[in-house]
This record gives sequence, C-alpha cells and structure tokens, in this order.
Amino acid sequence: MDELRTGYADTTFSNGYEFTQGRGYQLPEYPFTAPAELLEGRTGEHPIVIVGAGLAGLTAACALATYGVPAIVLDEDNTVGVKGASSRGICYTQKSLEIFHRLGVYERIARKGIQWSVGRTFAGKDEVYSFDLKQQSAYNLSTQPPFINIQQFYIEGYLVERIQELGGVELRWMNRVTAFEQDADGATLSVTTPAGDYRIRAGHVVDASGSRSPFRQWAGAAVTARKGDDRWCIADVRFSKHPPVERHTWIEAPFNENRAVWQHLMGDDVWRIDYQMAPNCDPEEVSREEVVRERLRRQFGADCEVEIVWVGPYAYRSECVDAMRHGRLYFVGDAAKVVSPFGARGGNTGVADADNLAWKLAAVQKGRAPEALLDSYHEERHEAAQQNVLVTNRTARFLRPADGIEKVFRTAAVGLAKQFPFARQLVNTGRMAIANPYTRSSVCEKTGGQSVQNVAFQWPDGTRGVVNELLKWADGRLLLLVFGDPGRAGLARLRELVQAAPLRCVQVLGPTDRPGALEHVRDPEGHLQGACHVFGHAWALVRPDSYVAATGESVDAAVIQAVARALAANGDA
Amino acid sequence: MKVPTSMKTTLNFQDADAFYEQLLDAHEGLDRDRSELLNARLILLLANQVGDAEVLRECVRAAARPPE
Repeated sequence: MDELRTGYADTTFSNGYEFTQGRGYQLPEYPFTAPAELLEGRTGEHPIVIVGAGLAGLTAACALATYGVPAIVLDEDNTVGVKGASSRGICYTQKSLEIFHRLGVYERIARKGIQWSVGRTFAGKDEVYSFDLKQQSAYNLSTQPPFINIQQFYIEGYLVERIQELGGVELRWMNRVTAFEQDADGATLSVTTPAGDYRIRAGHVVDASGSRSPFRQWAGAAVTARKGDDRWCIADVRFSKHPPVERHTWIEAPFNENRAVWQHLMGDDVWRIDYQMAPNCDPEEVSREEVVRERLRRQFGADCEVEIVWVGPYAYRSECVDAMRHGRLYFVGDAAKVVSPFGARGGNTGVADADNLAWKLAAVQKGRAPEALLDSYHEERHEAAQQNVLVTNRTARFLRPADGIEKVFRTAAVGLAKQFPFARQLVNTGRMAIANPYTRSSVCEKTGGQSVQNVAFQWPDGTRGVVNELLKWADGRLLLLVFGDPGRAGLARLRELVQAAPLRCVQVLGPTDRPGALEHVRDPEGHLQGACHVFGHAWALVRPDSYVAATGESVDAAVIQAVARALAANGDA
Repeated sequence: MKVPTSMKTTLNFQDADAFYEQLLDAHEGLDRDRSELLNARLILLLANQVGDAEVLRECVRAAARPPE
C-alpha cells in the first residue's frame, strides 16, 4: 500500500458515460476550510489564481511553489480523480516524468507506476510492427524512462502532498468558481463554497478546469471542435492472466468483431483494456457488466478470472481554443484543447502547458521579465495544442475510416504493412506524445525551441548530477551552459552578463579540460551537450522549463541578445 | 546539388504503353472491390517510390482536378 491514502479497494461494478462512475478506488479526501475572504468579509487579492486541481492545475501550482511564488488553487471537489471514480490518463511521457522529477514527485511515481517501452501492433492474428522506445535516441539520454503508466489520480495526490510540503500555495477544496470577468488591471472571480460566497481579485487566472471549462464562454474564446461517431468502452480490470508489460494494439481484433483494442498495464496490477465499439452504439448497453464480461471472455478465455475495477464508455472528440491567453486568463490542459487519447497527448501536454506557463508567471512576478513574456505562452503552447490535435485526428481517422474509399485505403495499408517494411509507417495506432518543439515562438531563436532531456553529468567532485539539479540551482532564472573554453574575453563577457541579467552560467568541460573562472561541471560522455543539441565549442541558453531558448558557437553579442529575447525584454514588446 | 523538386508534367516513363498495359492486365477479371483495393495498394507503393512530400502533395492536388 502506498503512503498516500489511496489505493485499490473492493471491486464495485458500475458504469456511466464519460468517466463519471465506478468505485474501484478509494481516493483521498481533503478538508474544506473557510477561506480568509469569508472570515473577514472582504474581496481577496491574489497575484495568481489557478482554477482546477487536476493534473495541469496541480502541476502549475507545484511549479509555482518551487519557484517560491504564491498562488491560490480553487477546486470544486474535495478529492483528486473524478468524483471518487477512477483513473483517466494512464500513460506519462519522459518529458512529463522529467517535469515531475523537477517538482519532486518522480520517485513516488516511479515506485507506483509501470515502466514500459515496447509497443506491438496487430492486425487480426498477425503482428504488423513493434517498437522499443528505449532503443530510440530521442529517449535514451534521459535519466527518466520513455514512459511510465500509472493512474492519473496517484500523480495528482502526490502533487497535492508536495504542494503542502513546499508551502506558499493555498489549496482550496469545495471552492467553485461561478463567474469571471476581467479588465485591464486584473480579473474578478466569484466563488461559492459550503460556507458561503466570496470574490477574488486576481492578477492572473490559470484555467485548468478541464474539458468543460466555463471560462471559454466567460472570456469569449472561440473553440474549433470536431466530433466523430467513434465509440469506445474502457474496462479497467485485474485478472489471473499476466500479459507482457507492453503496449498492445489491435487494429482489427478478432475477439472484438474486428474492431480496435488497446491493452495497457497500470499500477496495482490493473490493466486497461479499451475496446472500440460499433459507431453510434448505446453507451449504457456496451458498458453493462454482462456485456463487458463477455468481451473480456472473448479476449482472455473463459478460464480467466476477472475483477472489473471500472468501466467507462466514451466518445472521442477534439477541441482547441483560438488562443491560450485571453487577457489575464490562461487556458491550460483540457481547458485549452481536448484530443482523443491516442499517443497520450492529452494529460502530458497539459503538464507541459503548466510547466511552460509557471516559469513565465514566476519570472514576471519576480520582476525578471516584462508581462510580454506571457504572450509567448500562447505562441508556444498553441503550436503544441494544434500539433497534438492534428496528430490525434489523423490516428482517429485511421482507426475509424469512413465507409468506402477510406476503408479501402486502410485495408491496403494494413496488407502492405504485413508484406513490406515501408508500409508499417502508414499503420497509425497513435503517435506517442513528444516534447513539442516551438518553431514560431518570439522568445526562442531559430536555434532554440527544443526540449533538453534530463541527462546526467558530473559535478566538479565527480559525483553525478542531472540537468534538473542545474535548473534548481538557477531557481527560475535562465541557465547558460558554455561548452569548452570561451577564452578570456568570453569569460569576462559572461561575468558581466551574469551581473546584469537574471541568469546563471556554468561552464561544461570535457574529462580533461581545465576549468576557467566560472562554476563548472564535467560532461565526460557528451550527454549534456547532446541533450542541448550542440556540438564542440558552443553555448546553450536553457529555460526553467528545460527548453533551449537559443544556442550558438562563440560567446559574443548573440548571447546577450538571446538572453533578452528569451525574457521578451528585447525592447520591441 | 539540391534543387527544389516539383511534379514532373513531361514524359518520364521509360515505356508508357507497357505500363498502361500492365495496369489494365492487373485489373482484368477483378470485381469492383478488388480493383479498388489493387489501386489503393498501387498508389501507396508508388507514393513510397516518390517519397518527396512536395511532389506527392502536387500529385494529389493535380489528380483531384480533372479537365472541365
């Protein structure tokens, strides 16, 4: 049993539409305490208010807490997870795990969750292709694994406890926002609680209230939406079989009337089996216990004992707001965009949204950057949102081709994939989420915009360090890594720059290089350099969210420009 | 030398008549469904031979616009 008061409980079968029911898990409950505003009968004033204590909201809150920036979190419920039901997201990417490592909850996630890197795709009885992410260079540098599967509420619970430990961020349970308005100076929120109603005046409002966010309408955000007729039904089960710890996907599963099936392991030995249903089927019928048990029997055999933890029928949809920033309001996570679950591009991009926004809010709060920096949140994360919508829609179309020629092309692609290697790439059962690059950000140079993996290096005393420790040392400032010897003039310039800008600088040396007059670390295997996407004598300007803002070769005026630009302080804002 | 590629609109076949004949022969005796599948497979195979994203884009666009 984990130290968090959360865990697997007696199985109770229930069903419902869109993740709203099920009692297979006991979730922690957090007490309601009457906020100061109610006790003192006044309107509260807070620089940052986060609405929604889900994955994205809690990540933002925890990141702000690590930067020492105060915030208020309002949540309408008194628990993590959904109304005492179950897990939503299950699959967390390396980038998310690196962020969780920086926030101090990774070790607990790694203990509870399941690591995997192998995925296999089947059509009928044949394996069409497989991959092992551990073998891919995009993943193998980090000290975090490619993926960990774990029920979402565990991560949320760990974040809650971490936020409480860090202090500075106030979590308000059973506080529901009922209205929002904003002007040039701030926003006003109306909040209702069991002890009465109150108002808050906020400098910035982070909307992490999920896919049914009321803020979209309150702020007048336009939403591009697309709704398919594809229906799925999840069964989270524990059973006497022990399939391999791999992602298995069937495009046409013989045991599911030749429709698709997903099979994935989570914590507590719970397996998620996700079945594609007939289009426009009745969600209540397909999630009836007998019907679910019959499906499981067809897949695992009559002799397999099955405990059903949770059943959830759902329909895919995709939505994206027109802008991630509306004045004082920032959309993060599902409030900003909703995608189908293929490739784990929902929750993971919410985590990245939160991490991107948090350091910028912190930099502005601490007077290290002008408010213009916050516009880059939209530029960067909207690009990511649109990319994720695009990629998941393509997968959805492959998995649910329209009758007629779309179906013909899929049959052609699957058939060719069995015969020729090239066609495996056409079989689209989901493209796993990545740390989205930023190609049109006003605060990244053309040489920047890529994520830096949390690789290992050596501290001067020979002990092992990782990138996140350097970022922690930089404490919300930019981090300039200088590889090799920048020369006497370069060193002088760097010393000046560190005095003038919110920046920490460290020299990165090979195994035998002599240190200059800067703080230094060693990178004997070149992993840090590889992670920063540079070679030889070079510099990399790394942001608190572990993205490079810019890279370059010689330490000259370009470094100074890059620093100013990374903070939106280059004058034209 | 790297030059921007674009869709060829002049003759590139080594033997256009022979290819045309092969294509018709391959479809001979197939019902509509099997013919459609053959075409789809052939398109995917040929597209992989081309590879170049811009050329493929132009080809799809050109194919979608028959003469008036």
